[in-house]
Amino acid sequence: MQKFLAVLKREYKKVVFSWTFLITTFLMPFIASVFVVVPMLIFSIEGESTRIAIADLNGNVESRLRDNLSPTKIAEKAKKAAEESLTDITASQDEKLKRSAEQLGGTFTFVPYEAREKAVDEIRRELSAKVAAGELEAFLIIPKDINSEAKFGYYSRKAGDFVINSTLQDALNEAVRSQRLAEANISEEMLKDLSKKVSFEVKPLTETGDVKEQDSGPWTAFIVAMLIYIVLAIYGQAIMSAIVEEKETRISEVLFSSARPFELMMGKLVGVGLAGLTQLAIWISTVAVLVTFGLVSAAASGFEITLPEISIAMVVYFFIFFLLGYFIYATIYALIGSMVTSMQEGGQFALPPILILLVGLYFCFAVIRDPNSAFAFWVSIAPFFAPIVMPVRIVSDMPPFWQIALAIVLNGAAIVGLTWAAARVYRVGMLMYGKRATIPEVLKWIRQS
Amino acid sequence: MSESKVTLKAEGVTKSFGDFTAVNDLSFEAEAGRIFGFLGPNGAGKTTTIRMVVGITVPDEGRVELFGRRISPGVQDRIGYLPEERGLYKKMKVADQLRYFAALKGVNRKEADKRIDFWLDRMNLAEWKEKKTTDLSKGMSQKLQFITTMLHDPDLLILDEPFSGLDPINVEFMKEVIADTKSQDKTIIFSTHMMDTAEKLCDDILLINKSRKVVGGSLREIKESYGKNVVALRCVGGDEVLGDEELVSGVIDHADEQEVFLAKGKDPQELLHKLIGSGARITRFEMIEPSLNDIFIDKVKG
Repeated sequence: MQKFLAVLKREYKKVVFSWTFLITTFLMPFIASVFVVVPMLIFSIEGESTRIAIADLNGNVESRLRDNLSPTKIAEKAKKAAEESLTDITASQDEKLKRSAEQLGGTFTFVPYEAREKAVDEIRRELSAKVAAGELEAFLIIPKDINSEAKFGYYSRKAGDFVINSTLQDALNEAVRSQRLAEANISEEMLKDLSKKVSFEVKPLTETGDVKEQDSGPWTAFIVAMLIYIVLAIYGQAIMSAIVEEKETRISEVLFSSARPFELMMGKLVGVGLAGLTQLAIWISTVAVLVTFGLVSAAASGFEITLPEISIAMVVYFFIFFLLGYFIYATIYALIGSMVTSMQEGGQFALPPILILLVGLYFCFAVIRDPNSAFAFWVSIAPFFAPIVMPVRIVSDMPPFWQIALAIVLNGAAIVGLTWAAARVYRVGMLMYGKRATIPEVLKWIRQS
Repeated sequence: MSESKVTLKAEGVTKSFGDFTAVNDLSFEAEAGRIFGFLGPNGAGKTTTIRMVVGITVPDEGRVELFGRRISPGVQDRIGYLPEERGLYKKMKVADQLRYFAALKGVNRKEADKRIDFWLDRMNLAEWKEKKTTDLSKGMSQKLQFITTMLHDPDLLILDEPFSGLDPINVEFMKEVIADTKSQDKTIIFSTHMMDTAEKLCDDILLINKSRKVVGGSLREIKESYGKNVVALRCVGGDEVLGDEELVSGVIDHADEQEVFLAKGKDPQELLHKLIGSGARITRFEMIEPSLNDIFIDKVKG
């Protein structure tokens, strides 16, 4: 037991006090926080005001446009856009970009200009001269006839500023539409009433048919799946390289003359596993802090965001299934590590377990869509898949307790079997230098020892 | 050999890997306060035997007893093993490395720290204590590895080719350390294929070849049993006399002289007489003890 603890301590320290650990542990939350905090900071930066002249040949659009571009109207729209982007994760990159542009808004300073009674060419000449003189950055020409064929010319020194462009375009769109409606004798209110979007509410039902108050939402489930996948892949391979190192450097010879191979292997597995738990705990608490921070600042700026409901039980299950997954994949990697003779050789064998993990990750998509299907049931209790699929199911829609218990029992049994086999392969394989063990040889070791 | 001082005892030990028998019916005993030379060419089964002694593997047949008990984890803590294939954690600091190996041998932290300072000092490595193992030269890491085998003050020390890779100064130094350990009434097993080194160092030997025991016992007694039937000869001519198998069992050629092994029961006078009779010019004719190397070659070939 004392020797087991010595091994455990060394392995834990080796992982936790390494640069890679420090970098991944603290960089991940940092990157995450960049995604949360930096946009907030950017939104709070006010862009430099654009001096613009509006040349309205008819004089009936300009006032509406100015009104639409007033700071209060822009802020209102920005808030609405922000809310939409937070509730909708399916939006494409394109849409997202456009939305953030809307959130950014842009401010304008209007330079008065009398355009009536003047020809378009003359207006352009006069305003271009003003731009050249540095009195203006941009001007907009609104044609006399604003029917559907009409073309609006926007001339700008800041033509590349897509934020300003889209803000102006939206405001102009609205202003022109209002004018057209007015001309057709339809009131704005009436149109708003008629063209309202249908209100589409998704209400998750529980097993008993009651409407659930809150839902954790698909993205929480997806983050959970990714987190488990990443950590299992990283730490499984960490185990393998630790074992190959001892084999390559022949340290195992001394180790085996000092302690039982089983103690050595378990010390390694548990030590590295605790390091993985440490990293997860740091990440999860950082995320919790960030989310709280984000929530507070969002509340301060008037947003209403409902957080996914995460209960203590969910967190506990998350760690249980992480540990189950860790011991399944770590023992597989330990077994591979004792078979091969070098890291390069190990690399080839490291792929199949990763593929199993990856298949599990893909199963999660199906499970997120329908957490109560027969398929979801089977993959969430199956050994190798359950550690990644079951937490996703738990977050998506808490399954009955017996199913969770069944998954724990089945995967626990798999761990016992794998550890038993890995310990046997480890004992023989670690002293075999020079050549890689073949699968039949490995099977023989398992049967014999 | 007085029975009370026997610490390590192997009886009819056999170990096979598939069809290959690595060690075949091997028996030997090692005593405290003596250096036991475990000799044999590469591939003779030395490492396999040592692995059974230190409890890494278990014999298929026979038994190994240390201090009157079968090899078990408890007994393992009393063994210091320096394997032929040296291995240290490259990225670990020297002190951490030593602490870890001491902990694996059941030495508590306080005691380990004391001994680490003592040994680093003794091996002239004190200034490397906080350095990484990769920064050490080959000779230095060799010494470091030796320290790992000494930290838990073992009663049985097994050294597999301990001098390989060391410069002559460090070889002498290591010999002193080994002699000092011997004087503390510890049992030392010294495994090598370098016969001349073993000859100078060992009290008892066990010679194995092709997984079997060839000869074993006190080096003194073995040499005496061969008697003075080896002649160091420097002469010109007399080739047909030396080729006479009735008289001469073997000849080993050196640079400018030969070692002649007389056949059983033959008198060296007869050889001298015949050589003179054949007209050979003799510049040296001396009765010598056979070297361990001679014995080994004689036994293996014979």
